[in-house]
Amino acid sequence: LLIIVLASGCKAKGAEPVETIQVYAASSLRDAFVDLKDDFEAVYPGAKVALIFAGSHILRHQIERGARAHIFASADMSHVQRLADRGLAGEGRIFATGELVVITPLDNPAGIDRFEDLVRAKRLVIASDVVPLGAYTRTLLSRSAEKLGASFEPHILSAVVSEEINARLVRAKVELGEADAAIVYRTDALSSARVRVVEIPAKMNVRARLSITTILGEEKRLWSDTWISFVGGPLGHKILARHGFVVE
Amino acid sequence: MDGAGLFSARRGPILLAAMPMLALLLLPILGLFFGVTPNEVLEGSRHPLFGSALGLSARTSVVSLAIIFIAGTPLAWWLAVAPSKQTRAVEIVVDLPIILPPAVVGIALLQAFGRGGILGDQFAALGIQLPFTTSAVVLAQVVVAAPFYIQSAAAAFRRVDPDILIVARTLGQSPFSAFIHVAIPVAMPGLIGGAALAWARALGEFGATLLFAGNLAGETQTAPLAIYMALESDVRAAVALALVLAGAAAILLFVFRSLPFAWRQGNRP
Repeated sequence: LLIIVLASGCKAKGAEPVETIQVYAASSLRDAFVDLKDDFEAVYPGAKVALIFAGSHILRHQIERGARAHIFASADMSHVQRLADRGLAGEGRIFATGELVVITPLDNPAGIDRFEDLVRAKRLVIASDVVPLGAYTRTLLSRSAEKLGASFEPHILSAVVSEEINARLVRAKVELGEADAAIVYRTDALSSARVRVVEIPAKMNVRARLSITTILGEEKRLWSDTWISFVGGPLGHKILARHGFVVE
Repeated sequence: MDGAGLFSARRGPILLAAMPMLALLLLPILGLFFGVTPNEVLEGSRHPLFGSALGLSARTSVVSLAIIFIAGTPLAWWLAVAPSKQTRAVEIVVDLPIILPPAVVGIALLQAFGRGGILGDQFAALGIQLPFTTSAVVLAQVVVAAPFYIQSAAAAFRRVDPDILIVARTLGQSPFSAFIHVAIPVAMPGLIGGAALAWARALGEFGATLLFAGNLAGETQTAPLAIYMALESDVRAAVALALVLAGAAAILLFVFRSLPFAWRQGNRP
């Protein structure tokens, strides 16, 4: 053990200093950011990226309580804005947007093939309105009233059997076959082989705006800005698009 | 027979050694208190989600405790009296829900009782739907909390002197009657202690409930789920809710824990 400690000590002194940036990211970014991290570390050998995933609100709360974050990527604008207002973060910029889709189990027990068919779901699971996905879902449902009639929204809401805390929990209920349908981000649907996607007409669909910023106060890391430009650059866009995000 | 007297000379150092652990347990609770004003606690207790959530928690945890007591006591007795060759494997099964992360227990419950689970077809034929119902909340609480009661009850039963059971039998009592009238009263302090632990665990149950029962106000949203939900929108409200829950639980646990003493006093010849 001693030898290992000594050896690693020498290595750290001899080589170029490796700097780690702590990236706090919303749960829905997990798969895309894991890929981004691999490519980033390959392009910049001196950089190490530590990814911390949780609901945006939990991350914001942790950062407010002094978590050592360098970067914060949130599923909506409000959490970044609240940190910026308190002087804890720089101004956020939108780096991608996410669409909503309906998902069903592969055997589609309720026979949902179009968005309108959602009224057939007897057990519908959505996200709680306290998380961004839940807020987007409610916006979508109230918007659909114009196209699908005033009774659509109350009918759908009456079939809701659970309001989950995050997108992955919403999806899990469909993957396990317990829910007839659910509404999640396209990214969550794409990363699971056990759900079927039903498109939501573009006119009604809602765009989630994913926002990224640097956290102030913590010792400045050189790689922070590089990471943000990387995420917004061509390679970053390619990876984000592959995971179902919309990038301009 | 006073153990404290025997060690009184050494109590100072022992207390000193006990302090770090006590501080570690106490400081986070104090942190909760310092984070909010009494006004906020009052406001938190009036939070719209809280009334129904606390009521649901009270109802479900009491039902769970009743089920644990009725179904867990025979199992605990069997663990106490059967040869250890037979009980060893069963004891591990009983302990597993303590070791497994509650969310995994929730998934396991879905795989057993859900639509796609082992008993899914049978339940569907009977028209029974467990996930997303209040019954699912109770089932989740029973599974995660029962081990605490069973282990404590089995330990209490093991301390019952076999001789007094034999005496009861020779006086003409049936094995069942001897169990009810001799073993249970003698083990009662241990049973109550285990029940208190199980009830506390059921009241705090979060992960398995979230997975197996979901989260819907009035149906499946217990106090811990309501607190977590409130945490997403308003941390102070969540802390206030948590303090109200912790206060209620502390009072009930205190009463629960005092019962064994009352029991012993009442049964003293």
